Amino acid sequence: MAFLEMRGVEKRYGGVVALDDASLSAERGEVHGLLGANGSGKSTLNKILTGVVAPDRAVIEVAGVETRIDRPQDAHRSGIAAVFQELSLVPDLSVAANIVLAFESSRLGFVQRRRDRDRAALLLERFASAFHGDSLPLQAPVGSLSPGEQQVVEIAKAIARQPDILVLDEATASLYSAQVEVVSAVIRELRAAGTLVIFTSHRLGEVYDLCDRATVLRNGAVAGAVDLADTAESELVELMVGAVTAPAEQVGHSRGAGPSEVARGTPRLEVHGLATDQLEDVSFSVGEGEVLGLGGLAGQGQSAVLNALFGAVRVKEGSVTSDGEPALPRRPKQAVDHGLALVPGNRGREGLFPVRTILENLTVPSMRDRARFGVLSDSAERAAATGAAAQLQMKYGSLDDGVMTLSGGNQQKVVVGKWLLTDPRVVLLDDPTKGIDVRAKAELYEVITALTERGVAVLLNSSDDDELLALSHRVLVFFEGRVVSELAGGELTRERLIADSLQVAAT
Amino acid sequence: MNTPTLPPTTTLLRDARTWLLRGRLPIATAVALLVATLFANLIVADNFLTAFNLRSIFANVIPLAAVAVGQTVIVLGRGIDLSIGVIATLSSVVTVSVVEPWGLPAALLTGLATGAACGLVNGLLVAVIRLQPIVATFATSFVWAGLALYVLPPGTAAAPRMPDVIVLGYRGAFLGAPNAAWLLLLIGLSWLVLKRTRLLRHVYAVGGDEQAAFATGVRVARVQVLTYVIGGAYASIGSFAMLANSGSADALAGGGLTLASIAALVIGGTRLSGGAGGAGGTIVGVLVLQLLTSLLVALRPPTDVRQLIDGLLVILALALAGLWSGRRRSR
Repeated sequence: MAFLEMRGVEKRYGGVVALDDASLSAERGEVHGLLGANGSGKSTLNKILTGVVAPDRAVIEVAGVETRIDRPQDAHRSGIAAVFQELSLVPDLSVAANIVLAFESSRLGFVQRRRDRDRAALLLERFASAFHGDSLPLQAPVGSLSPGEQQVVEIAKAIARQPDILVLDEATASLYSAQVEVVSAVIRELRAAGTLVIFTSHRLGEVYDLCDRATVLRNGAVAGAVDLADTAESELVELMVGAVTAPAEQVGHSRGAGPSEVARGTPRLEVHGLATDQLEDVSFSVGEGEVLGLGGLAGQGQSAVLNALFGAVRVKEGSVTSDGEPALPRRPKQAVDHGLALVPGNRGREGLFPVRTILENLTVPSMRDRARFGVLSDSAERAAATGAAAQLQMKYGSLDDGVMTLSGGNQQKVVVGKWLLTDPRVVLLDDPTKGIDVRAKAELYEVITALTERGVAVLLNSSDDDELLALSHRVLVFFEGRVVSELAGGELTRERLIADSLQVAAT
Repeated sequence: MNTPTLPPTTTLLRDARTWLLRGRLPIATAVALLVATLFANLIVADNFLTAFNLRSIFANVIPLAAVAVGQTVIVLGRGIDLSIGVIATLSSVVTVSVVEPWGLPAALLTGLATGAACGLVNGLLVAVIRLQPIVATFATSFVWAGLALYVLPPGTAAAPRMPDVIVLGYRGAFLGAPNAAWLLLLIGLSWLVLKRTRLLRHVYAVGGDEQAAFATGVRVARVQVLTYVIGGAYASIGSFAMLANSGSADALAGGGLTLASIAALVIGGTRLSGGAGGAGGTIVGVLVLQLLTSLLVALRPPTDVRQLIDGLLVILALALAGLWSGRRRSR
């Protein structure tokens, strides 16, 4: 019986299965890697262990005792602390105050600031070289630190709770190599002291450097638990990829043979040396009627490209031309004027006006084209909306129903449909099928095909690798904000995509 | 793996950001405003430095100072109390009504309990039932006003009065300074004590990032309820000063304190969305408002201009505060 046992873990999001009978078993004094491609369920498993997500079914045993973990507090109580890429720090409070937050030393209700500072100092001492300057910034507000330093504070804060199990989910992603070394040294100390560390990182080098064993997930289930010392990188990739099924079959849709002939249409959008806070030197072009996929592990800069092209984030360097004309937008409005349309991944927050009707949601971006002296005609609005809805085969009761009464797939069609009415030349799709069921997905694929047939260029970011491979003519693979490879034709395989995502030479 | 290397040291940048984040800029602005209004008063009003004038300025400032410090605690925790001025009114009519039969100490305790109880109701509505703070406390302000009218209907013959010792003592002096000035100092000190508590640390955490505070194990709802209770208690303290200043209570007075308390804390550099600032700045803001009033009195404008000026000041201060935070976001 291992120290931590997770068995039969199941989790569905609507119609989408995230975990199906997953398991994890690890000992004290071990750094255990948790690996998997996009959609394998590793993040969900981490979140279940730390109480951020409640499982549909799971048996979790810590030190042989069955434990229910429904909320973060339950995890705290069971000696589990977690660090995710998203921070849980209060920017205005000092570093020391953040580290001891909610368990300050106090006497008669008064904070003993010197004691807390000493406790924090003792802890941060181990991370000293991860901070700028000569002295630890104990009194500095967390918000004044660099992102990497904040991440180190977050790690220190988790360790301050003296957990038996420490979950690090991409906790090193925003760190510089020198900082990673410092954190690695501390992780080894913790291991020596008997802590169990669950470690997830997109940098395989770090995984090999730190972990003893690793559990590899694939499609929500365990593909294998391995000793890393006798497992080559290529074997890990094989475990993540699994039996080779043609991705097109799974998605029920295919580009068909000879994508290159379409791909060589006249370039619609050309990007050179694009750089933002999250991107470095990204260049590509996408032609008329082409679908260009943006792949890689989640969050390596794919969304950042789309947001930059749509004028939603500040671009530091680079040029963008649309049909030969300079088209680097500074605001989304300018991007729309250049014929771009963005379908955001978070449709609830960015893509829809949730309390308004289907009609209004469909017609808002294109209203200006139909208005006469600023006045809208109801019948013209309805005609436009009905046309878009028919084109997308939307299922709805009445255009006057609230948009949130629709199913997830139909909501997503509204987000696409409202841009169809602006007659775009380039459509940016940011993980458009996230959280919608298979049927709705298939219908959305038809929409994408219809767009390309009209000569629209499509940029597609997807966290579903199969979908990406099936829909794209070419795929750019991203790693830490840069394009590390471009796959086309026969290279468009799941294996190549995953190997390149992890920067492992393909077998 | 190819991880990027550490860039050159940027401690200078960090110091600059620290300075901004700690809210030194708004405080500096508030103090500059205080100096400016002080000089304006010295120039315009030739009687400004007389003992009588200074004494009455301090006497007039205490109610607002207490209420505004209470409001600051609430705002720091990402709340707001639009009923806080009327809580002071209710507390004052309750206190003055029971001072005759129960004696002074019991009356003051009753007043304090009244304020804290009103705060508790506000806090429960906002943090537990989760109503919008602006709407919930605007509604309760009418409840408190109704209760005040019930306890002490206006125009009551032989309205109860505070004992003379209180009224005379409030206008008196000690060690050469007006007693009211000492009271202001006490209010300031009470904040310094409060600020060192674990509770206030958690108030700053909740105001700064509610999600992060919750995920870390701070009991967010409890902290927010307590900010309203503390705010209500400070409002009671303000009501005692009102009673001492005028000798009696008026069930229709006090409402104006709410807007002024928000104006004072915004001028003093407390962020309206919570998590940054403090009552030190608020007290500076209160003094600025009071000096502006006495400046207006000296200039003898039409009588009702005070309200108009208060409103304009809040808008001005908010615009300035928005500028600071806008600059911070774009850094």
